[in-house]
Amino acid sequence: MANWIPLWLHKLSSPPVFYRFAGTLRPWAIGLALVLGLVALYGGLVLAPPDYQQGDDYRIIFIHVPSAWMSLFIYGVMGVAAFIALVWRIKLAEVVAMASAPIGAAFTFITLVTGSLWGVRMWGTWWSWDARLTSELVLLFLYLGVIALYHSFEDRRQGARTAAFLALIGIVNVPIVHFSVNWWNTLHQGSTIKLLDPSTIAPAMVWPLLTMMIATKLYYVASLCGRVRADLLALEGGKDWVRQIAEDEVRG
Amino acid sequence: MLDTRRPGLAHACIAVLRRDLTLAWRQRGDMVLPVLYALIVTSLFPFALGPESALLKRIAGGVVLVTVLLAMLLALDAMFRSDIEDGSLEQLMLAPQPLALMLGMKILAHWLATALPLIVIAPVLAGMLHLPIAITPVLLAALLLATPLLSLLGGILVALTAGTRRSGMLLALMLLPLCVPVVIFAAGALAAAQEGLPWIAPIAWLGAAFVLAVVLAPLACAAALRIALDS
Repeated sequence: MANWIPLWLHKLSSPPVFYRFAGTLRPWAIGLALVLGLVALYGGLVLAPPDYQQGDDYRIIFIHVPSAWMSLFIYGVMGVAAFIALVWRIKLAEVVAMASAPIGAAFTFITLVTGSLWGVRMWGTWWSWDARLTSELVLLFLYLGVIALYHSFEDRRQGARTAAFLALIGIVNVPIVHFSVNWWNTLHQGSTIKLLDPSTIAPAMVWPLLTMMIATKLYYVASLCGRVRADLLALEGGKDWVRQIAEDEVRG
Repeated sequence: MLDTRRPGLAHACIAVLRRDLTLAWRQRGDMVLPVLYALIVTSLFPFALGPESALLKRIAGGVVLVTVLLAMLLALDAMFRSDIEDGSLEQLMLAPQPLALMLGMKILAHWLATALPLIVIAPVLAGMLHLPIAITPVLLAALLLATPLLSLLGGILVALTAGTRRSGMLLALMLLPLCVPVVIFAAGALAAAQEGLPWIAPIAWLGAAFVLAVVLAPLACAAALRIALDS
């Protein structure tokens, strides 16, 4: 049996091993993200045909939709990391959860801004209290709450664990908010890309969208690696492996 | 001989409840402040929006709800503060009785001391904004379910911020996502009642959420407190 996989994962959760691993992963992830992002932008902005109803205005979805996916995906990652951090008290999981929060908040913010830019052309208004918009806004507040709670503690590890608990409460809250706001008001168009049913979107528009999705995922990985590396150095400041790195830096 | 008998669970619950209510009663001035705050905020709305009774009637339900929510938020900060400062919360954590139950009693005492006066004053607030008298029972039912729900959710957040120094704005930021569904359903019931539609469905949703919160929130509150004060 291939039991090197769990073994490798166990090793990876040690800060110095992850520090080196993230250091090698990061340049690849950021390079691929840039290349794929440019390809997706070219495909979306130049190659894809204009929409028969919305003209060229629809092209903002190549930014908007991948950002919206990422805002939920990163919250999911943060929730899983928070759960691991609280149950098994793994230091790396705490750092990953807290490093994910600002990236997720940024994607949520981009989603809201691009959405309202699109809305002002299509709906004639910057903002409407529609179910999806409101849920996304609440998601932004959840992210900000987690970040603020993390920074209000003097002890970083305690702050991380407390904020992780808040992130878990948020995971329960997001579907409730979405359901209640749905019940309250709905204007946003339904999803056009579905996992199981055939999509109701032209193939020339799908591939740039999916490429951009992969690019944003890779960007997230790269950004996460950078943030986790910095946080690990700060958290493990007094340890030998950090001193070793600092000495190598001074010498080299 | 040492008396090694432990007090029973019911006895401990009543002791916690009585202690908190006595403390609240000794500082009656603090209990009046949220009520005053709600009165002031409500009386500002006609100045800002104009005194036409049709407009005020339309917004009355929502304004009263949000005002009560804000007044509760103001008082939420103090839920465990004095207990953390004098160390009695740590004693409660060490006590053999389940912490969740004890915290549930503390939340109940806090609700009795801060939300109940607001519910008593709510018909007056609604009257100031010309809410029809026939809607008042719906308003009271919505508040009777929404305020304990907010107290329970707020209790979890207060427990999370227990280890920090200043938490006022932080609590507002953290409570907002949690209270969106509560406000939607409570205001939905009021709006339906004002239009003469059946209003029982949103009230039933609030009731379901309240039952769920009564069971789960004290457990979450205890877990949060153990995390936040663990050092």
